[in-house]
Amino acid sequence: MVFSYNWLQSFFKKKLPKPEKLAEILTMASFEVSKVEKRGNDFLLDIDVLPNRAPDCFSHFGIARECAALLNYKIQTPSAKLKEDKNKRARDLIKIEVKDKVACLRYSARVISEVKVGSSPKWLKERLEICGLQSINNIVDFANYTMLETGQPLHAFDAEKIAGGKITVRFARKGEKISALDGKKYELDNNILLIADRKEPLAIAGIKGGKKAEIDKNTKIIVLESANFNPIVISKSSKKLNLRTDASLRFEHGIDPNLTESAINRVASLIAEIAKGKVAKGLIDFYPKKVLPQKIKLDLKYVDSLIGAKISEKEIKNILERLGFKNKKIKTQLIEVTVPTLRLDVSLPEDLIEEIARIHGYKNVVLISPIATLIPPVKNLEIFWEDMTKNILKDMGFSEVYNYSFISKKENDIFNFKNLIELENPLSSDYQYLRPSLIPNLLKNVSKNQKIVGEIKIFELGKIFRKAGEKRMLTVLMNGDRFFEAKGTIDLLFNKLGIAKVWYDEFEATPEESKTSLWVQKRCAEIKVNQEELGFLGEISPKILEKFKIVGKVVSFDLDFEKLSRLSSEEHEFRPISSYPAAIQDIAVLVPGDVLVDEILNKIQIAGGKLVRDVDLFDIYEGEELPEGKKNLAFHIIYQAEDRTLSSDEINKIHKKIISSLEENPEWQVRK
Amino acid sequence: MKNSNLLKKEVGNEIKSAKDLRELDQIFNKYLGKKGEITLILKGLKDTPKEERAKVGKEANLFKNFIEKEIKGKKENIRFAGAVAEDAGWIDITIPGRKPFIGHLHPLTQTKRKFEEIFQSMGFSVIEGPEIENEFYNFEALNIPVHHPARSTFCLSLCRTFYLKGGNLLRSHTSPVQIRYMEKHHPPLRIIVPGRIFRNEATDAKHEFNFYHIEGLMVDKSVSIANFKAILQEFLNKFFQKTIKMRLRPTYFPFTEPSFEVDIECVICGGKGCSTCLGSGWIEMMGAGMVHPNVFKNVGLNPKDWQGFAFGMGMDRFAMMKYKINDIRFFYAGDLRFLRQF
Repeated sequence: MVFSYNWLQSFFKKKLPKPEKLAEILTMASFEVSKVEKRGNDFLLDIDVLPNRAPDCFSHFGIARECAALLNYKIQTPSAKLKEDKNKRARDLIKIEVKDKVACLRYSARVISEVKVGSSPKWLKERLEICGLQSINNIVDFANYTMLETGQPLHAFDAEKIAGGKITVRFARKGEKISALDGKKYELDNNILLIADRKEPLAIAGIKGGKKAEIDKNTKIIVLESANFNPIVISKSSKKLNLRTDASLRFEHGIDPNLTESAINRVASLIAEIAKGKVAKGLIDFYPKKVLPQKIKLDLKYVDSLIGAKISEKEIKNILERLGFKNKKIKTQLIEVTVPTLRLDVSLPEDLIEEIARIHGYKNVVLISPIATLIPPVKNLEIFWEDMTKNILKDMGFSEVYNYSFISKKENDIFNFKNLIELENPLSSDYQYLRPSLIPNLLKNVSKNQKIVGEIKIFELGKIFRKAGEKRMLTVLMNGDRFFEAKGTIDLLFNKLGIAKVWYDEFEATPEESKTSLWVQKRCAEIKVNQEELGFLGEISPKILEKFKIVGKVVSFDLDFEKLSRLSSEEHEFRPISSYPAAIQDIAVLVPGDVLVDEILNKIQIAGGKLVRDVDLFDIYEGEELPEGKKNLAFHIIYQAEDRTLSSDEINKIHKKIISSLEENPEWQVRK
Repeated sequence: MKNSNLLKKEVGNEIKSAKDLRELDQIFNKYLGKKGEITLILKGLKDTPKEERAKVGKEANLFKNFIEKEIKGKKENIRFAGAVAEDAGWIDITIPGRKPFIGHLHPLTQTKRKFEEIFQSMGFSVIEGPEIENEFYNFEALNIPVHHPARSTFCLSLCRTFYLKGGNLLRSHTSPVQIRYMEKHHPPLRIIVPGRIFRNEATDAKHEFNFYHIEGLMVDKSVSIANFKAILQEFLNKFFQKTIKMRLRPTYFPFTEPSFEVDIECVICGGKGCSTCLGSGWIEMMGAGMVHPNVFKNVGLNPKDWQGFAFGMGMDRFAMMKYKINDIRFFYAGDLRFLRQF
């Protein structure tokens, strides 16, 4: 909200600090001043009044009060001396009826006759202009001026245009319309509060005046309105009509109902003085439930404890008094503070402590290390395994990416995911669903990077979302024909995470599933530990890659990280290194093309027993020299005992046993 | 036996002039082999007259040690000379080295770890919570009025919330985890909560609609603003690895009272004023305050018994300051040219 420096100065005899300096003082103790700008011989201050302080600070007098407290200056209240015309009584000239006292907490009115409507004096125009308001005529300008000064929105009606001489505050009827001062027509409903005469609406309460009782150059008698409306009612109406005004802004934040009287007297005195009107006798005032100041008991020990500094009783009382909070001592270390009704934001001792702390100055609070029980932080295992996993992948050459948690409708059409969570208010259709998998956005990364970077190895560890809930996933992606590199990555990762017995299960999609499958049929596997499925490994379907404009193959694995971190273990057992020599014998087996390497490995392990320390597949060959439909697999078999040197007889015996075990199957042929 | 000094000199020269390992072996055999001169002397000791035995034995042994040492030294010379000879030729040491291929951790991961490390060293546990939340945890329990129509003016950008079909929402801050944690853990407590949050805002160089927050909470019998300042100063100094000037300014949050904004002196320009700090020399880094009594009540704690501070800050912002990144959108764009710099 913008404020005029000269206007603020007008409340003080003493000179205010220079605009820049004042801005700094306000910023550090009250509100951030985001701009100071020279305007003619004045300065404009853009002050970000905090929302809870709007009731007392959306006004020049409010900011001036704040300055007075900060600078310890004496403030001068603007004069509201009224000379009433004893011959006319306001209540003979206009009647006021309030139908809903929850919606309208107070309605004060005055009548001024024999006004001379004309243009405003220069000083008035200038002040309005710096605050961004247009000059209309002297009557309207004074109403606006007084609002900017006091924070109380005011309105003036042409009394002779009010049908039946009566103002009613009531909710609109469905279908009622009003032509407002902005030239627009608004359609109303029964949630919108109105100021109306016998016949029709005169104004949208607290928001905008209507054309009907507009002040014009012929206006002679005016009715001034200074009311207090329920913030919720005004806020709802303003939203409904999509109409925000200086008045509605103030009402939405709440205003002290006690303010109506001083504000209406102020504006009446200005009009009487400058527009030469005669103020009719008496204030018409509907105020059924007077708001009284609140009292708060403040424990001074608590003040010191919460701030963490010793602030003397004298200083505390001084700060409170500067802010207009009367206080009295009840007993040692306990005072009773009376909160001015203007301060809608203060209702708790903590609110008072904030006042004391900010005026005392946060910069004057000396740093004190907390005294606390020595409790070591609890190790967060999920984060521990997350860090470990990321480090392992990084060491293996993968780069980490962070993607948005959303996918688009278009992307979902490609994958046809089930049980998605849709946003009620997405930023755009590009972000309509919460991501049910990390893969779509990772594919976008590949697509974007493939032109710049040849080899892409990326991963993301983050939350995915389905109707069943959110879950942490780890997804790794690499481009190229690298299924076995991906598989080796999984093996090494699991090994480093202390998870033994990972195995890969063949996966057959049902024909229905396979149509929209993410994975290439027969080139994918379920990743399992014991019988538990942890994730999936495979090549991404070319149909999908095409949609992302990806050239070549992409291999990916996708792991349920919640399961993975549960299975991970820091325990790692050392296997003694045998001090006896190992012997290596090679074996080559010619088998039908569909035989799994695992089947052969199992046979070798079972037949070989404990003395086979390791078996390494070192060659797979399928070629013209081989019989149709056959492949040749070659293994290194490493024989070693932990307690002795194996004799060649011993080794030969086991090797022969392995060979005969492999040849039990007539289709398998060991090539010696 | 010859004069021992003379003999030493003679053998020494022989060894020095040996050209290769074979010649050295010959010399060794001549003196120390099975029938070598020294071997024979040592073997013959038992026939030596008693009065000379000790002297001769001692000399022979000294001589033996001398030869062994010389031969060993020469052998190393020969081997070393050989190596040079085989690899002859120079290396252009200015040819770029071949780097092994390693991956990269996202800058936000690295920033998060830094936060965790510093706060853990001060006794804070690291806690996480769900990204899908409900109105109770995201608003109500934090003293943010949900059903107030004017709520948006009181909870600022927090209320730019993404709602999900079915009524839940994406958390707009990490503060719900404060509530979840305090419901289950009794004070004293010290936690930080890093995590992803969501705000329904258009993106630009400074704004994203998903980004990272880190929340801090310390509750004990007499935790104060002075304590907050001390903990925060320590954190800032460690994070930026230099002494950082900071200042507290009053602000308003529904869940803390008093509330303050924390500014730090601009680490880019050192407070002189630059484009990052918009000339002010200060940068707003976080919101903080003393836990509001209503928040304690909402988790079943008696506000009379406990005091605490809470703070929340954007991790992206800290990462941007630390690595001098000028656009937040780099973090979520998956551009390897960016990521490989970290």
